[in-house]
Amino acid sequence: MSGKTKKITKKVLLYAILIILALIWVVPMFTLIATAIKSKSDFYSGAGLFSLPKNIAWENFINAITKGRLLTYMKNDLIICLLKVPLGIFIEAMAAFALTRLNVKHRTGIFIFFLIGMMLPMQTALVPINVVFSKLGLMNSYFGLFYVYVGFGISFGILILRGFFNGIPKELDEAAYLDGCTKWQLFYKIILPVAKPAVATLVISDFLSTWNEYLLASVIINDNAKKTVPVGIMTFVGEHGTDYGYLCAGVLLSVVPVLVVYLLFQRHFVEGMAGAVKS
Amino acid sequence: MCSFKIGENMKNKNNFVKTDKAAYLFLLPAAVIYLSVIVAPVCYSFFISLFKWNGIGKMEFTGLSNYINLFQSDEIFQTAIINNLIWIVLTIFVTMTISLLFAVILSKPFKGRTFFRGFFYFPCVIAPIAVAIIWRWIYNPNIGFINEFFKALGIPFSQGWISDPKVSLYAIFAASLWQAIGQPMILFLAGLQAISPDVLEAATIDGANGIEQFFLIKIPLLKDTFVIVVATLIVAAMKVYDVVQGLTGGGPNNSTQMMSTYMYSQVFQYNNVGYGTAVACLMVLIMMVVIIPYVLFTAKED
Repeated sequence: MSGKTKKITKKVLLYAILIILALIWVVPMFTLIATAIKSKSDFYSGAGLFSLPKNIAWENFINAITKGRLLTYMKNDLIICLLKVPLGIFIEAMAAFALTRLNVKHRTGIFIFFLIGMMLPMQTALVPINVVFSKLGLMNSYFGLFYVYVGFGISFGILILRGFFNGIPKELDEAAYLDGCTKWQLFYKIILPVAKPAVATLVISDFLSTWNEYLLASVIINDNAKKTVPVGIMTFVGEHGTDYGYLCAGVLLSVVPVLVVYLLFQRHFVEGMAGAVKS
Repeated sequence: MCSFKIGENMKNKNNFVKTDKAAYLFLLPAAVIYLSVIVAPVCYSFFISLFKWNGIGKMEFTGLSNYINLFQSDEIFQTAIINNLIWIVLTIFVTMTISLLFAVILSKPFKGRTFFRGFFYFPCVIAPIAVAIIWRWIYNPNIGFINEFFKALGIPFSQGWISDPKVSLYAIFAASLWQAIGQPMILFLAGLQAISPDVLEAATIDGANGIEQFFLIKIPLLKDTFVIVVATLIVAAMKVYDVVQGLTGGGPNNSTQMMSTYMYSQVFQYNNVGYGTAVACLMVLIMMVVIIPYVLFTAKED
């Protein structure tokens, strides 16, 4: 009996802790939504954050899209992501394939060489990239940004894919060669499809880091019509720093695509990320 | 044709030194992009850091004087290095402890576990710059969430969180914490799940209580996870940029300047390109202290 009471007390305590933590964790999202639905006059009339507005200020959202050019930023970001994510992963997978399935001299050395890039701060490449891109006319170009993003994604991609490829039994290769597969076919038709779970995890994490990247995008893209979402959303602060309703509506809308992706692929995040990093 | 390929394959296995020619082709695209985006620019940065240069005019070779000036006479840079070190200490003690705590709670079996895992991980997927903007508003001294909250409780309170040099660094850290917990939490969760239930059962039979089990069994078994978490946290702490740039941009009065934000402002605001690049190079040199042992550890694992 006392054991049972103890168990129930433990459960209650667990949920109590979870709910308190969840309440703290929800503050930023609450603030964002509570502000986005209030107009400027709601704030000037002294109504605080916790009061409900008389009318939901839809104009904040409309302004964020029209005046704030938010849809343009999203379109630009999406173009970069659609270019970078598949091509980057394909290139990383090719390298990981060579490092795990083909005979390569100094394979650990090459792997370490690729791995170091993951740790280097982007700042170290910033000035040279800026100088060279200005000369080549790649500033303000999607291609320039795309190319740099692929470069900075290579280390992590190779780390994840190499780990997964190593776990695929080598007998598969021998059977494939027996059936007359070339190395390319083995890579493209067998290893890559088998590695689907790792690729899926990488697609999601790659999409998010590309979609959210700020520093490189802020240096390479100055043209308002070409900005990505993180750079674009920062212009909201500069131009309308005091109009919090409008600002928060913009930030809220910018989070929506990420939220959708997250809800659709949540399983891949929590289970997949850990598995991928561990292997 | 087939048999020839197998033969070749076997031969190469025995004679490991030879590189498969096809392997070059597979490695080529990644190598070209990696060399041109990361390796060459990093080397070029070290070269630029030896010059006095405004980015447009003539480059004037000054040897190591940029570095000497940084350490000898640049107080803002020294603040930045100290801030990065404070940030490292805070992430190790605060971020790691809290994320471990979350992982321990979320590894217990209970209803709604998947929901709570997803819920606490969610901030990770938001752009750090958006997180900074949200917190800027939460910290607003007049009508932001925190001060409004205290007002609602009947405690009149007006603290300029990020505008007060004494607390602003910690305020930024607290803001980043909201997002920074997720990744280490996931890693710890995976580590905890990998611990065999038999080990814990044996410990229970031997009379170890929950706390003893945690410190004497789980923590030692999580050793590998700790290595990954500590390394990634230190690297992230050295790189931290978006959230600081978005909240204070290094202010007020340079009190929250980080090496990353200082490098940015030197290069892009003051056109001290050589000088700012020296800061970036120092970031790399300092990080190497962490990177080299970690990379060797990762490569050794297989």
